Formats: sequence, C-alpha cells, structure tokens
Amino acid sequence: MTVPTDLLPADLLLAARDGEPRAGGTDLMSRPAAGPHVDLTGLRDLPGMSGITWQPDGSAHIGALTTIADLARDARLRAAYPALALTAQALATPQIRAVATVGGNLLQRNRCRYYRNPAFTCHQNGGNSCPARAGDTLYAAVIDTGPCLAPHPSSLAMALLTYDASVQVHDRGPLPIASLYGDGSDPSRDHLLDPGELLLAIHLPPPVAGERAAYHRATGRSEAEWPLVEAVARVVLDGTRISHAAVGAGGVARVPLRLGEVEEAVLAGEPFTAAAALTAARCTPASGNAYKVTLLAGTVLEVLEQAAGTSAS
Amino acid sequence: MKIMVNGVPHETDAGRDDPVVDVLRDGLGLTGAKAACRTGVCGACTIAVDGTPQASCLLPAAAVEGRAVTTAEGLDHPVQRAFAAHDGLQCGYCTPGFVVEAAAFVDAWRAEHGDVTPPRDRIAAALAGHLCRCGAYAGIYAAVEAACRGEHDGEAAAPARVEAMEKITGHARYTTDVRLDGQLEGAIIRSAQAHARVTSVEVDHAHVVDLLPPDRIVRYVGQPIAAVTAPTRQEVLAIAESARIGYEPLPAALDDAPDAPPVYDEQSRKHAPSSSEGLTLPGGWNGNVRGPFSGVSRRSRTAVNRIEAARRRADPLLVTGTFSTAVQVHTPLEPHACVARWDERGDLHLYLSTQTVALAAEQAAKRWKLDASRVHVVADHVGGGFGAKSGITVEAVAAVELARLCRAPVRVVLSRAEELTDAGSRPGSRTRIALLADGGGELSALAMDVHGRGGVAIGSSAALLARLMYGTAPRRLRDFDIVTNEPPGTPFRGPGAPPMLWALEQAVDEMAHRLDEDPIVLRRRWDGNPKRHALYDWAAALPIWRDRPRTGSRSGRFRRGVGVAAANWMYLVAPATKVELEVEGDTVVARTATQDIGTGARTVIAGVLAEELGLPADRIRVEIGRSGFVPGPPALGSRTTASVAPAARDAARLLRAQGLRPGAKVVGRRRGDRGGYLTPFPVHGMALGRGFSGAVHVTEVEVDTRLGTIRPLRVWGGIAAGRIYAERPARNQCEGGIIQGLGYALYEERRTDPVTGTVLTAGLDDYHIPGIGDTPEMTIHFHQDGWEHVNGHGVGLGEVSTVGVAASVANAVHNATGWRPHDLPIRPDRLLEGISR
Repeated sequence: MTVPTDLLPADLLLAARDGEPRAGGTDLMSRPAAGPHVDLTGLRDLPGMSGITWQPDGSAHIGALTTIADLARDARLRAAYPALALTAQALATPQIRAVATVGGNLLQRNRCRYYRNPAFTCHQNGGNSCPARAGDTLYAAVIDTGPCLAPHPSSLAMALLTYDASVQVHDRGPLPIASLYGDGSDPSRDHLLDPGELLLAIHLPPPVAGERAAYHRATGRSEAEWPLVEAVARVVLDGTRISHAAVGAGGVARVPLRLGEVEEAVLAGEPFTAAAALTAARCTPASGNAYKVTLLAGTVLEVLEQAAGTSAS
Repeated sequence: MKIMVNGVPHETDAGRDDPVVDVLRDGLGLTGAKAACRTGVCGACTIAVDGTPQASCLLPAAAVEGRAVTTAEGLDHPVQRAFAAHDGLQCGYCTPGFVVEAAAFVDAWRAEHGDVTPPRDRIAAALAGHLCRCGAYAGIYAAVEAACRGEHDGEAAAPARVEAMEKITGHARYTTDVRLDGQLEGAIIRSAQAHARVTSVEVDHAHVVDLLPPDRIVRYVGQPIAAVTAPTRQEVLAIAESARIGYEPLPAALDDAPDAPPVYDEQSRKHAPSSSEGLTLPGGWNGNVRGPFSGVSRRSRTAVNRIEAARRRADPLLVTGTFSTAVQVHTPLEPHACVARWDERGDLHLYLSTQTVALAAEQAAKRWKLDASRVHVVADHVGGGFGAKSGITVEAVAAVELARLCRAPVRVVLSRAEELTDAGSRPGSRTRIALLADGGGELSALAMDVHGRGGVAIGSSAALLARLMYGTAPRRLRDFDIVTNEPPGTPFRGPGAPPMLWALEQAVDEMAHRLDEDPIVLRRRWDGNPKRHALYDWAAALPIWRDRPRTGSRSGRFRRGVGVAAANWMYLVAPATKVELEVEGDTVVARTATQDIGTGARTVIAGVLAEELGLPADRIRVEIGRSGFVPGPPALGSRTTASVAPAARDAARLLRAQGLRPGAKVVGRRRGDRGGYLTPFPVHGMALGRGFSGAVHVTEVEVDTRLGTIRPLRVWGGIAAGRIYAERPARNQCEGGIIQGLGYALYEERRTDPVTGTVLTAGLDDYHIPGIGDTPEMTIHFHQDGWEHVNGHGVGLGEVSTVGVAASVANAVHNATGWRPHDLPIRPDRLLEGISR
C-alpha cells in the first residue's frame, strides 16, 4: 500500500517548506528548530500514516507516525522482522519510545556535542568548519567520509538498511532507504530530503523465513545512552551453515552502514571473529577514537554470535 | 486549548509548541513535574498521558490537547506508599517522575504476571529514563518489587523519612517551584570567551545587573557577565541570547603546558576562588602553578631519601605510579535556584536552594549591608547539593540585585547546561605516588605530589589527607594547583579524598600484591585506626573476599574480580547548634536553622524526639530550612547529624523536665564531647572533633573484555561512624555514596573543547551519571562502637561513604584482569586499550 498523498493538506505541505516537521517532537523540542515547528500529528488518521499494515505477500508497511513503542511491542513484527523489533526495543528510554516516531527517528538530527552546543557553528548549522575535527573526537565517526565527523544517530535506519527497506516520500516514487542518507559527503545535513518533502511510510520486503537476529549497543552504562558503536545482524541458518546474512553498523560513520564485506565472509564460512575483523579496513580513526576500531569489530562479533546462537565465551 | 489534568478540566492559553512541563508548572501551578534537564534524559518531568508515561519537557502542549494527563499530584497508587516505606528517595527532586513511571510499570507487571517480584533488569529497563543523583536506586528497586508483590495495596506503613509523602506526591516545594505575585524571571549572560577583557555589554533591556569582577576580565567560558530579567523564562532567555558583548581577547591557558599564558597576575590571583571547604592552603605561585603546600609532611627528607635509595637499587617493594582523575560535576537534579524579594520594610527574603540557610543569610547580610535580622532565607526542600550549594552563589546575587532594580520578586534558575558548566565540580587531578615497604613489610616511606586541576580555582588539598592514613611512617605530601582558563572547581563531597584515595589505595593494593599478602591483612597491619580494624575483620570474613580469584588467573571474555579500599574522614561538628522545641496543641514542634538536602536531617531529629519523649511520629513536627530559627549546622562536611541529634536530645530532656504542656518552649544545646574537640575554638562555626570515621568497601565487578565495559555486581560498604540515628536514611546515603563513587570510577567526566575551553558535556545525555541499571547489589554494614566520647555516640557518614569507592573498583578490575587502571573514569576505550597491552 501507499499513503494517499492526495489527502495531504496543502497548507501543511506549504508550511513544511519553511519549518521543521514535528511528529513526536522528542528531537525537535530539545534543540532550536530551523524555522517554525510544523505539526504532523494531525496526519495520524490518514490511511497508512501510523501503525503497521500487513500486505498480502506478508510484508509490512509501517507508517511514519508509528511510535517506536508500537514497533517494539508488535508480536508479528518481532517474528517477521526481529532485527527491527530488537533495535526498536533497545533505543532511547520508555518515555521517549512512547512518543518518538519511526519517521522522526530516521530524520532526527545528529548528537554531536559541537552541533548541539550553541557556542559552536559548524557545517550542520550554517558554518563552514567542523570544530570536532580540531577538538574532542572521543565520540566522532571512525570512518571519516567527509568534512563532518558526527556519527549518524538513527538506529532504526541501520536496521532497515539490513532489510533493504524502501521509503515513501510524497511527490516521489519509492526510494531505497539508503538514498535518504547518501554517502555522507554532504556535511550540512543528516538526511537528504529537501524542505517540504515529507517521509510518509516505510516498506519492508517480505520476511525471510527462519531469520534470527541480534542488536547490540555498545555503551559505558547499561541503559539510556547514545551508542559508542551499535550493530545489527540477521542470519538464516541452514544446519550449521549460514545461508543468508545481513549486517549493519552505526555510531561509526556519517551514515548508517551495511557491512557487505562481513556478510560475504560469513556466507563464505569464515569464522565470525575473522569476518568481524574485516571492518577495521574501513576505519580511519581520528586522534581520540581509535578504540572504535576494536569496538566495531567486537560489536559486530557480538551480534553475529548472538544471532547465530553460538555461545559467547 | 483544553486539557484534563488529574481529572480536572483546564482551559489554557499556552502556545501549542510550549513544553507541557511549563504549562503544568507555570500555567496550572502543578509543580510536581520538574524541568530538570529539558532534554528528556532525567525523567523528573515525567507525567502520564492517557496512562502512558512521557517526558513532559519534550512534549508540545498540542500533544496533550483533549488527553487525560496525570501528574504525581494526581496519582494515588500503592507504589507511592512503597517508595515511602522502602525509602526510594533522598532529596526527592526526581521522585515525582519516578513514581509516575513506576506506577505504570507496576500496574502492567501485575496485570501480566500477577503479584510476583519482577527481575531487577525488568525494573531497570522500565525506569531507564530516570536519573537519581542521590543514588537512591536500592530503595527504588525495593519499593517497586514490594509494590509488584502487592505489599502496599492497603494502608500506608510508617515512612522511612518523615517528609517522604510530600515528596512522593509532588507537593513538596523546592526553590524552583516558588512563584510569588508579580515575580519576574532572571537569566545570566555568560562569557563565550575563555580569557578576555569585557569592553562592552549591550542589552536591549532596562534592567541589567553587572556580574563582572572589578578588573572586567572573564577567565573561562561560561563566566557570568551580567543578569537580566523579563516576565517569562522564554522572554528572558531571548534577551540574554541577543546581548552583544564586546571582548578584547587575551591568550588562554587551556592545558597545563609550562608555557601556557598566565591566568592571573599578582593582583588578581588574590581573588582566585577556592575548591577547598575549610581554609585554603598557603602556597607560592610559579606561572599558573601554585604550591607546593607540604606543611603536613612528616620527616619529609627521610621519606625522600628512602625512596631515592630504593629507586637506585630497584627495590621491588617500591611502588610508584601516576594516577589521574577527571573533573566530576555535582549536577544535583534541582539546579541552583533563587527567588529574591525585597519587602516594603527593606527586608530581604530569599528562597534559595542551599545547603546552608544560616550561612547564606549571614553572607547576604554582609554583602547587601543589612542587619542579620532583616535577611530571611527559606529552603523547605533542597533537591541535592553535594557541596555545590554553599553560601551566596551567583544565581542569588543575580536575583537579589535584579529584584532591587525591578522592585519585584525575581527568580533565577540555572539551566542544566549552566549547572554542568559553572555550578560546581570536583577538580581533576594528577598524582605521582611512591610507596615503600621495608624488608619486614612495614610502611617505610610515602611520597605524594598531587596537581589539582580546578580551572580558575585554587585550593586542591588531596595529598594533605594522606597524612591521616596508615600510621606515622615518614611521608612527603605536596599539594599543587594548576590553574587554567576553565570553570572553577568547588568543594564536592569529601573534597580532596577521592583523588588521594584513587592513588593511595591502588598503591597499597599493589604493595600487597608485591608482598604476596592479602590486601586486607596488609591494611590492617598498617592502619592504626581501631574502628577500621573492626571493618577489616568484617570485610575479611565476607565469603566474596575469601573466595576471590587470584589476580591474573582469569581468562575468557567475562572476568570477575574483587577489590577493596579503605577510607578515612574527619569528624566535624557545629558546636553552636541549638534545637528549639515548642508544644503546639498535642504536637511537639522542633526548629533549627539547618536544612535537609536529602540526607534525612528531619528524620534524625524526629527520631531522637520520639525516643526521648516517647511520642508517636504524628505528634512530632520538625521545621527546618529557615535562617531565622535557632542556629543549626550547614549541610557540609558530614556534620549535621553529630550537631543536631545531641541538641535535639538536650532539648527533649529540658522539655520533659518542664512538662509537655501546650505553649511550653525550650532550647537545647549541642553540649560538648568528653575530652573536648581538637580545635580549641570553632573556625567558621566548625570544630574538629576527636577521632576519624572510617569506611571499607569491597567491590565485585565483571569485566567484559570484548566490549570494554565494567559492571559493578555487588558492593559491601562497611562504615564506622558510631551510632546510627536513622537506619534507613543512613543506609540510603551510604548506598548513594557507592553509586556516586561508581559514577566517578566509570562514567563521569566533564570534557571541554581543547580549542575554545567550552564545556562539551553540557547536557545529561553527555555528562553520564549512573542510572538504575548500573546499580550493584549493595550491603551496608554499620560498625557502631568507638564513639563513646562523642555526645550522642554518632558522627556523620555522608563523605566517608563515597570517597574510597572508585579505588575499590580499580582494585577489582586489577584482580579480574591483571591490568591496573590509572586514569579516571575507566571508560570502555581505556579498558580495551589497557587489557590489550
């Protein structure tokens, strides 16, 4: 299904060009907005804008205004797309998940301490430099693809990437989710939608039978912390052989990543440790975040083992 | 817009984008929900919307239109009674948010699973969006578990602290909740430069208060420049943001490089603030380095000669090392706040979030040249302090001056960013230590050089405290300050002790390792304190200690280890403390000019009176938090209990002698100790009593060598502070001390931008304090003997219960992995690097 775009109110579409769309508001309310808030919650009752709609082929259509909590607690979603459900369960905190939406999660702004601090200007808010680069890089992206060093904040984007999900944006055809983010070379923004372009829904391909999945968020504390590194793995086992693998990582690059090299190695029967270690080749650490090279490999290994059910020792 | 709050329909003219927390607090006067972080991290503003807990600081008003909102004030739930019975709170500022969330969890749990105890990790996950800076998590777990079992469905049990229900129902009034008629909001304009002369301040507003020092120089990013007012918070923030400040930049010292530009000249250094709670140690200056102060050394030359000789012969019993600690921020959940009002008679009324109502009144009288009787400081409830809320601080200066200018009451509440930048921090430190044992395994010499990093503040006094541990062996103890253009350090719970113990207690642990001796046995040999001997015996007998692994014996991914650390603290008392009792009807009312920052001061006084007078709890009322009452102690230096409890008992005995008839009034004194005090006369109202309190912490951790995390599993805290007056609040404070110590050990670190000096950890999602999921299982053991000479037989425990915890974590990590952490906090990156060597 698709959200019927002819039902979108014209004044709202117009307003969205000059303001920042607000769904749950959990990101927008905590930072200065680029223009006035444009409240999207009135669209909740539009067909397909909120909640999960199951298609005849067994695939899921997720409205952009679906809350993270709804995603996390849906039993059918957990069975069909476990990596997505596990990721949703692990992000933020219960109060935030109750309000924050899938669309908001995909399009939220990054958590860089320089970007969020009004004392600095940077590529992300009209400036022409990255103060993090000369400054504190403890939490910076370890895969340096462009002028900006802020890791992408969306855990769901990473999970959806491993499902080859597509998104519905009004006025445009279905887009692969990766095209929301590009290659990270544009340092001025966290997603590539233009002002006025509204994300309406996410489409997932039909579920893969026998999928096992895991999500892990590497943090210092046990709960409620933005990830140093996060990873998600989906595998299908054929006996002891892995017949299907999709692996994603976050917290390490300007955009959410799909780790094709790890997937290939796992499918080729490489030991998980060796497969996870391949991620090091992507890394280009700054002065303060070399640990993320180790942590990325460790986190990928963690999700591979958890997904495949091999015991950690 | 129409909203339904606690079953009552309201019409509000709030903007649709306004945060719900402001609509509730400012619009409807419901102040249970607290705007403590405004980023959805701390959960103090949590409300239920159609039954679902949500962070009201991030919720636009439009989102609750036509919905049913429930705040703590409107909640009537068993979990509230459970919080009161199990003492799931200290200062109470986070409590309304916790109970709203906990109520929803308990209902959902019981509906799904019946009345059974949930696993701890389920509770932790449900309450992950709440932070309690006091660290009352053990009580919170107990309360939620009991409520899930259905133990609090009936009548309320006796609360563990007397004001519990006020806090739990959101009715307790904190300074941030005060709203007077005609009240304006104030805000502080702060420096964007690390070092500059301010040449101009332009504000589009009539009322501006200057907050610059006489030389017009700002010395750190975030230093107050001026204060402004407006009718609402939004307006005043906009005014502050639009201020135009002219700077003449000066070179800034943002690190400790020897060639860093000077922070002070000879004149201005005299006005450097201090992070020391008592007297600031004397010391000379060499550029940005001040010190050393080595006045407490003992046979300094002997110590150095022995260490040098040992170094030359590569003596294996010479333990040396360099240890560092990060800047730790107090960040109480209630930010610094003041409402100031000048009345028609010229009296000054201050509602102040303070640990020192009396001292604040005294300082205000001096500063604004008023008779002491004309200053009235009120602090009914204080949302945490930890040392940061002493005397008249900048928010009070701003509020008082603005109120005078505007002829209206003015409220100034610091934002979380201000709180995390310039409202109190424990200085960072770098310590070089050398510890030498002789052939007989006795302590032969100790040398400690501690360089404190308190930004523009001086007064680091860490090495000094090493004089008080491990006997009388020769020792050279030197304290230095390295000043930089960073925000000032301030006194923080046990000033100087955590960095000192971080180095000393690890060095002692290492020595035990070299001597192949049990670290507790070694400490018991070296430590002459008989009260700590009792704690060592208790700790040594713990199964966890007896069964601990041999260091370096663990392999595999997850490695468990056990570590110990000892701690020492001074016994302080305010000898001038009095407690007044007045019989009103059938109630005995106690009054004294102290305050409760979450420690349980009211409960201690009420408990003494109940015992002495044989009265039930509902016939005793304790009134504190007013400067005009008879003199009471500040909540500083672990001195409140030892001061107020004996005075309350004295008053009770006087009243008993006089008879409990209505109208009767007596004043009890804090009579002296047997043998007197060590200080012949009080200094700043404080006496140093005889004897030292002690603590021994045994900590078990699990290290994940793959992902670099350290999980504290169990902690035993043995405390020797004599008689425990109010067991549950005392235990709560000791548990909170462990939590804060774990924060210091593992997570907490103020980080600044190395280029500009701007504090980067300006929000609670960036400055990491422990959450409920980081809470180990804790066992507190009180050793109550050894204080018979003290009036009342008990002393304070707020500081001794936290200062040694980080070192016990490090020793546990070493036991688990064979790697010894030297730098705090022990972040995942440091652990991964350390164990890979």
